[in-house]
Amino acid sequence: MSHFSIRCPNCGPRACSEFSYNGEVRPLADPDASEEAEIARLWLRRNVTGLQRERWFHAAGCRRFVTITRDTRTNLIVAQPGEPAGDVAKHA
Amino acid sequence: MTGIDFEGTQVPLQAGDTIAAALYRSGTRVFSRSFKYHRPRGLYCAAGDCPNCLVTVDGEVNVRACECAAKAGQKVSRQNAWPSADRDALSIIDKMHWALPVGFYYKAGIKPKFAWPMVEPFIRKMAGLGFVDHHDAPRHLVRVNHHPEVLVIGAGVAGLSAALAAAGAGKSVLVIDEKAPGHRVAVGETRAAIDRLVGEVTAHGAITTQWNTAATGIFEGPLVIAVDATREETLHVHPGAIVVAAGGREIHRVFRGNDLPGVMQARGAARLAGVHGLKLGERAVVWAEQPEALAHVETLQRAGVTVVAVVAPDGLDTSSVTVEVVRGEVTAANGKKRLASVVAGGRTIACDVLAIGSEIQGNEHLVRLSYDLPVVIAGDCTGRHHTLEEAAASGTSAGTAAAAGPALYAVEPVRPRTCGSDGYVCLCEDVSVKDIEVACKEGFDSAELLKRYTTVTMGPCQGRICADQLRAVAERVTPELAERVGAPTTLRPPTRPITLEQAVAGAAHHIERHTTLTSKHLSAGASMMWAGVWKRVEAYNGDVQGEYAAVRERVGVIDVGTLGKFLVGGKDATAFLERLYPMKIADLEAGRLRYGLLLEEGGVIIDDGTVCALGDGRYYITVTTSGAERLESWMLDWAEAWGHEVYVVNQTASLGAINVAGPQARAVLEKLTSDAVDRESFPYIRHRQITVAGVPCLAMRLGFVGELAYELHFPASQAERLWDAIIEAGKAFDIRPFGLMAQRLLRLEKGHIIVAQDTDFETTPWKVGMEWAVKLDKPDFVGKAALLRHQKRTDRELLVPWVMPAGTACPPEGTVITVNGALSGRVTSAWHSPTLGHPLGLAWVVNAHAKDGAAVNVGGTTATVRVGHAFYDPQGEKLRA
Ligand code: FES
Ligand SMILES: [Zn+2]
Repeated sequence: MSHFSIRCPNCGPRACSEFSYNGEVRPLADPDASEEAEIARLWLRRNVTGLQRERWFHAAGCRRFVTITRDTRTNLIVAQPGEPAGDVAKHA
Repeated sequence: MTGIDFEGTQVPLQAGDTIAAALYRSGTRVFSRSFKYHRPRGLYCAAGDCPNCLVTVDGEVNVRACECAAKAGQKVSRQNAWPSADRDALSIIDKMHWALPVGFYYKAGIKPKFAWPMVEPFIRKMAGLGFVDHHDAPRHLVRVNHHPEVLVIGAGVAGLSAALAAAGAGKSVLVIDEKAPGHRVAVGETRAAIDRLVGEVTAHGAITTQWNTAATGIFEGPLVIAVDATREETLHVHPGAIVVAAGGREIHRVFRGNDLPGVMQARGAARLAGVHGLKLGERAVVWAEQPEALAHVETLQRAGVTVVAVVAPDGLDTSSVTVEVVRGEVTAANGKKRLASVVAGGRTIACDVLAIGSEIQGNEHLVRLSYDLPVVIAGDCTGRHHTLEEAAASGTSAGTAAAAGPALYAVEPVRPRTCGSDGYVCLCEDVSVKDIEVACKEGFDSAELLKRYTTVTMGPCQGRICADQLRAVAERVTPELAERVGAPTTLRPPTRPITLEQAVAGAAHHIERHTTLTSKHLSAGASMMWAGVWKRVEAYNGDVQGEYAAVRERVGVIDVGTLGKFLVGGKDATAFLERLYPMKIADLEAGRLRYGLLLEEGGVIIDDGTVCALGDGRYYITVTTSGAERLESWMLDWAEAWGHEVYVVNQTASLGAINVAGPQARAVLEKLTSDAVDRESFPYIRHRQITVAGVPCLAMRLGFVGELAYELHFPASQAERLWDAIIEAGKAFDIRPFGLMAQRLLRLEKGHIIVAQDTDFETTPWKVGMEWAVKLDKPDFVGKAALLRHQKRTDRELLVPWVMPAGTACPPEGTVITVNGALSGRVTSAWHSPTLGHPLGLAWVVNAHAKDGAAVNVGGTTATVRVGHAFYDPQGEKLRA
């Protein structure tokens, strides 16, 4: 049972329990991608151990989505909404 | 009734009694029978730790009698014994240890194989604790969140001192304790100190207290979950730092006869004597291993017990006591169903009470769950007995440290103490020293394995009593494995027993939504049905056919206030919807509306609805009743992904919606509005702002049911007024309100799909013949890439309309379809059409048979596939009327 706080651009810092998790951020569709790549993009999650770009929905607040970078090992937020993503690739 | 009903006998109560105190006073000595061997067990810890006093109270099993406040009228009974705990026939098992060796579960299961099915039912019957009443209705408990800067667990001298120190440093503090402060402490200077500190704490503005609230675990965050049994709520505390001052308990001493009724821990004995005024017996021996225990001598004496001897180790200063002191240890206790004598220092001393004041071990359970968290330990909880002054100082420094910030505090592992060579290590599971020795010799060489094999530490107390002694025995038998067998086993929450109701507090709330018109529907005879989280009208007085006929022949009205309704605006609204929907949005002029599918990235249909262009780049969109909640977040997720500046206002609840449908719909509206609603000024697939019966409405002309129809969207507060006005104006045309069942039949005659009834998680627009709703020449939309790929393939199955000849019975939905005996598909929607006079519906059929005119077998009757025709009003003239 984790507990950390997310800085919503509309509402300020709020408990993560006010948000619902919407999973890791996936790249947008690339029309030139191979079928295999597209299937992987659509259906396979990377499930990173380390820094992850992910989206949270402020469900019990202003109802907007925010994108953050979180370390999945420690639950420390490396980049709050609006901040540069951080070195996500290195940990992916 | 002034007493409690104990197995049919009235037991009188005194103020402040726990169930255990009341029963003991009335003469009860055997409180339970042990789990496996049915040995008689009496009060032992009197502090909520041991399993000996678990009873059933008013149908609730495994209530700790020593902690449960007694209330007049309670029905209390003992468990796990037949016919009674006093004369338990099953105690014969105690004479048959040979038949139930350690690990007998595994052994009986293996050799001989056939034995297990015979043994198991017997074991199940004689083991277990209490009987759960399956007719008991669950209670729904509330979950409450707290956000103190410092949380203090335990309101003893150390905890209360810590609270005052943290509050003195300017922090907001919450103090919880599983009981009222000092509730277990006999009158004396400790009790007086606690009472004084409680006064200071309660008077302090920055400190909140909540008693009778047991912390059950510390989790990442930190998050502390605690249960308040008296207020029936579960607390989620989110503190900045935590002080654990949960106190300590005396070490469980193991020797022959250590589980006899009459053998007690000294703090428990002092509580019963000093708090509840019980005369525990005639002659008591106090075994004091540390100074605190010597104070209990006087407490017992005050309650009228003769203390015949104090047993103490050589080094302990016993000058404060006036009774005979025997140097050494207690090595055995004798007696049949109750203590008769103890052996100490080579002597046998007759007594009926033995109070064991052994060394203190900390109640470290919460702390051991909290590595890497801002947790500070104070007082006896650190694993050592503290004098009053030491406890206060320890609390003050812990409170100051917690207030200073989220530093991390590691926890010292506790080393096990020595253990005797006979007796019961685990009271819960009836595991003796001998059992553990056997297991060690059989090769179980780590604490975790010994635990699983012998079930030691796996009882109701979760090792509070026995974990330490398990390690001590294992170390003695296999000293070469001290590292492994001496390591504490993993601790898991909850650290205090909780009920399932407490565990799911706040989680069981079931949302049932109603529109503002529900009371009107109910008084008109409506039956309601689930539609997502909504309750909608199924039919009025069960007359689906009558409702259907009214819409086709005259006029009907339906409450569609449950539709998902959104206002979409902002700089990028047009671009956003253009990329979201598979049809064109940019060319939609103000005042027009368009039907739209919503696809997910794989090209699968997830919802449908309408888009109205309001002008100035603003849109009003509707989605299905069950899709509203999910689609709001789905849309907003895309906005974030594309970086679009849009706002999506969910108006599902704030707006009501009513659809007036049927050939006379216009005539009804004309009676209620002065705005033009004629065919020329307000044609099909347009929307207008009009005022109906004084209510401002966004009116749309669309036709799910296939008739002339106006769908009115308006402030929900006006719903009843508008509904009444429409019904009143419609009387001249014999208007009928209609429900979901009639609507489903009406739409089926038009061949319209219902997402999730007719579609599944693989349904693309191609498969349901809705290519017209997808514009692949658009630069991009959600699902386009997948649909382009999909186009190159042949679909295995298609959704097609079908008809049956007049006079045939309508097949139920879900009926299997075959062609020449081979499986071909299934019916998703079916109904007998009153207008056309024959059954019709929609079905999934394999591609080869999905051709117009193809004959398929539906549950024994031949049906004909009809591709490309609506059944009813194929040209759509009625809609456009
Ligand atoms: S005494 Fe409770 S689990 Fe062993
Ligand atoms: Zn917000």
